Amino acid sequence: MTAAALDGRMTAAVGQPIDRVDGRAKVTGAAKYAAEFRPNRLAQAIAVQSTIARGSVVSIDTAAASRVPGVITVLTSANAPKLKSLKEGAPSGGHAGEDLPPFSGEEIHFAGQYIALVIAEKVHQARRAAALLKVNYREEKPVLEIEDAGASATYPKKNMGRDVQHSRGDAAAALAVPGVAKVEQTYTTPVETHNPMELSATVAEWRGERLTVWDATQAVIGTRATLARAFGVPKENVRVVCPYVGGGFGCKGSQWPHTFLAAMGAKAAGRPVRLVVSRAQMFTSVGHRPPTVQKLALAAGPDGKLTAIRHESTSSTSPVTDYIEPCGKSTSAMLYACANADIPQRLVRVNVAAPTFMRAPGESPGTFAIECAMDELAVALQMDPVELRLRNHADTNPSDGKPWSSKRLKECYALGVERFGWQRRTAEPRSMRDGSLLVGWGMATAVYPGNRWPASAIIRLTRDGRALVRAATQDLGTGAYTIFTQVSADALGLPVERVTFELGDSDFPEAPVSGGSNSTASVSEAIVQAAAKMKTKLGSIAAKDPRSPLSGARPEDLSLSNGRLSSASNAGVALEELVRMSGEEAVEAQAMVALEDEKTKKYAIHSFGAHFCEVKIDPLLPRVQTTRWVSVMNIGRVLNPKTSRSQVLGGVTMGIGMALMEHTVYDRRTGRPVNDNLADYPVPVNADIGSIDVSFVGEPDPVINTLGCRGVGEIGITGAAAAVANAVYHATGRRIRDLPITPDKLL
Amino acid sequence: MTPFTYSRASSPKEAVAAVSRDPRAAFLGGGTTIVDLMQLEVVHPGRLVDINTLDLTRIEPLKGGGIRVGALVRNSDLAKDPVIRRRYPVLSEAILAGASAQIRNMATTGGNLLQRTRCQYFRDVHSPCNKREPGSGCAALDGYNRIHALLGTSDKCIATFPGDMPVALAALGGVVRTRREDGTERQIPLSDFYVSYGDDPARETVLAHGELITAVDLPGDGWLARSHYLKMRDRASYEFALASAAVALDVAGGTIRQARVALGGIATKPWRSAEAEKALMGATAGEAAWKAAAEAALSGARPRQHNAFKVELAKRTLARALATAAALSVA
Repeated sequence: MTAAALDGRMTAAVGQPIDRVDGRAKVTGAAKYAAEFRPNRLAQAIAVQSTIARGSVVSIDTAAASRVPGVITVLTSANAPKLKSLKEGAPSGGHAGEDLPPFSGEEIHFAGQYIALVIAEKVHQARRAAALLKVNYREEKPVLEIEDAGASATYPKKNMGRDVQHSRGDAAAALAVPGVAKVEQTYTTPVETHNPMELSATVAEWRGERLTVWDATQAVIGTRATLARAFGVPKENVRVVCPYVGGGFGCKGSQWPHTFLAAMGAKAAGRPVRLVVSRAQMFTSVGHRPPTVQKLALAAGPDGKLTAIRHESTSSTSPVTDYIEPCGKSTSAMLYACANADIPQRLVRVNVAAPTFMRAPGESPGTFAIECAMDELAVALQMDPVELRLRNHADTNPSDGKPWSSKRLKECYALGVERFGWQRRTAEPRSMRDGSLLVGWGMATAVYPGNRWPASAIIRLTRDGRALVRAATQDLGTGAYTIFTQVSADALGLPVERVTFELGDSDFPEAPVSGGSNSTASVSEAIVQAAAKMKTKLGSIAAKDPRSPLSGARPEDLSLSNGRLSSASNAGVALEELVRMSGEEAVEAQAMVALEDEKTKKYAIHSFGAHFCEVKIDPLLPRVQTTRWVSVMNIGRVLNPKTSRSQVLGGVTMGIGMALMEHTVYDRRTGRPVNDNLADYPVPVNADIGSIDVSFVGEPDPVINTLGCRGVGEIGITGAAAAVANAVYHATGRRIRDLPITPDKLL
Repeated sequence: MTPFTYSRASSPKEAVAAVSRDPRAAFLGGGTTIVDLMQLEVVHPGRLVDINTLDLTRIEPLKGGGIRVGALVRNSDLAKDPVIRRRYPVLSEAILAGASAQIRNMATTGGNLLQRTRCQYFRDVHSPCNKREPGSGCAALDGYNRIHALLGTSDKCIATFPGDMPVALAALGGVVRTRREDGTERQIPLSDFYVSYGDDPARETVLAHGELITAVDLPGDGWLARSHYLKMRDRASYEFALASAAVALDVAGGTIRQARVALGGIATKPWRSAEAEKALMGATAGEAAWKAAAEAALSGARPRQHNAFKVELAKRTLARALATAAALSVA
């Protein structure tokens, strides 16, 4: 089945801006999130954290806590059952955010490390008891900042199994050529914390050796695997349920200690346990984007063509993980045509909680650095920033020479220029005004890999002519429920009203983590393949019955449309009739789609886009206002313009927050987060965001999958902070290379 | 949260008596500060006396032209009151620049005067804090102190008063009315209501334990209609001030006859600046006067590592607020 063959008919629902199928459940409160599941005899837990960043726990006095009415038990490393390794072992899969299982020893590696779990009848009792624990520490001086951690620096070869270092040609020699235009600057980004609205939470219940977990997760299958490893039970004994996620942005993509502690607590208490991670704990215990220091060096000839790119990134990681924020590999290494590139990735270790994937991990800070540097190069060359990028357009992937599956970046620039009115921009900084306000226009390229990972789905067609489609994927609030309903409907030739799509249950056919913007590409293909199998099954049912109008029809002539299985010459049979003819209550078809085929391996698959940003700044009271924004993206086929647009709106908004506000601060003496709440950690409010105009260009990606769709969850944030910073430069003449661009930096 | 008893008072007298006789008791108004701090284990009242049903919810004219605002008038109601908006725009603007609609719907006039600092170390019970635990030290002095105070600080505490409405009330010259245990009332000008930190930053106001705020009186001066509140912060809304200014001007023929200046976000209390007012009085309205007032207002600033930028930011905020007020067309 090819995309071209599907094009004629797979357009009824796919591509339509239909409303979210889960919208009503969400706005009425009917949608149940992890923390809202209440198995019988549910007890409540509070996790207690280390207040020191390095050293060890000498003792924990639990006497006063244990006397609080309602307290059931207090677990510490002294009395807790030991968990098995989270990192290795069978079953494989999942990814623990911290390599060390909770309560595996006395040693403290970071402030916020869990050291006790209090379980009580009511949550306020647990909280009260937690406050009464007396912890005696042996304290050591922690290493907290990148600049203090040089002794631990390494250049790791791999990140998540993939090469993370890149070099081609001779960048050093090209940078030393006299007469080239050069930019050599350092860009820094701070710690950022995901802060989804929904707090991470786990409700765990054991029945004998079987564990059910309601968990706020981006990966029900991964969570099942890691829990099975931790507790030494077969994965078939573990069920992970997560019908809704109130935002993840990566902090629910790995499995974090609270999930294991809830299950451990349920085992110890002999009853179900709920553990909700508090907002403050979200700053230490479910990851963050680590700080980066990125040294950029660009060289170009007078024609603007790049002769050298050097992009050395340093990110910090924690003693309890090897997480790397890979800033250059999916940005500077492949964004522009340039024969000489040196893209080293450096890692240092500090006594800070584990960092993790956060929306466009690597690409987000990486595009801030390279896209600001490109802007600086354009200024040095006195060239329009769009023109500079066009002159360096990469016609093939410069990092591996592969052709692009579908790029269309030039169209993104062109449409963006038109919709924004970029031609009216005057190049000189501070040259544009709105009354007394400085006006700045900046732009940047957006880029994100087009990932597709193994996925499966099952379709169950019943006698009422309805289809129930299931996959163990997740909806983070992105619209997954909706687009997979649309894909299912078209693949089966049914109206969307006759399709129910279910997700968020590890008992469903396996699907990947909702991360890396892969789910749209992965799960839609599984549905399409399952529908193809369903068609074959229905075809053989029809063929077997001599009275059937499709008797003798060739399988390749059959199609599913208008609720019927039909051939070109015959109106065919209604699906409900075919189910009845099967003699069963339902007909099921399941498909598993493997990782890569020979075709996808030959191509470089990426999404591209361009951001255009207007800022207005009061020169005396310089809070940056983003007043107008244009984004143009190529994400392959757009399955639902409404949900896709929302993903770009969200990505751009988060990028504006990254550019102007977000910044997690650790106290430089204790290592504890200082601003661990939503009052002290500002993210944009509505009043901070002007109009955002989103367009999509491009055709279905002919390589990635049948529908030609790539995910859109992350590309919107890439390049966004650079577009703001470039606009700020244009408005003020001030180049701020250290995020966030708060008013104090522009005074 | 430490267990506590809850009761509802049916009269100011009963409320004052209930809190006065129990040293661990506290009034419960809108609850927007105290409940938050109880959850964080920062404060541990053993008894909460709910005053929400008391008849202190009126905004009424006073003889002599002033206005009395009942202690339980909600922020939202005060901000939208047409008389307040017309005669004291700075007050309405200050309230609307603070918090969110939901919080303003709960927060009361009396309670808002007693809002506690947002110093992160005050709110973190594992950090030393002379305000929370007298004598334990101050983690903010050499910690992350971007939001901390420039004025009114001591070597014991640099915590900023975070509110907006009280800054406007300070500029307006409001008078706090209270009821005491012995049944007497007293009237405390805003300028005397807050105490300097000195050696005991735990003490923030002159109120005695159990003394209940019943109202705030606003003066009747017509020129206060030429008043304005300007607030600077990292985002456009729903954030505490990095610097704010509440100003009122009486200008005739281009000469400033009277001026009121109070600053927020940069001081340990709503900071009425006599220095700035002196610089303005008798001066010609214009940039030179605004700048002189700004310099005077910040002359005593004592910045720490991360808040030095607020000196310049506060100056510019005040100068802009004055310029804006001077340009108002006031009926």
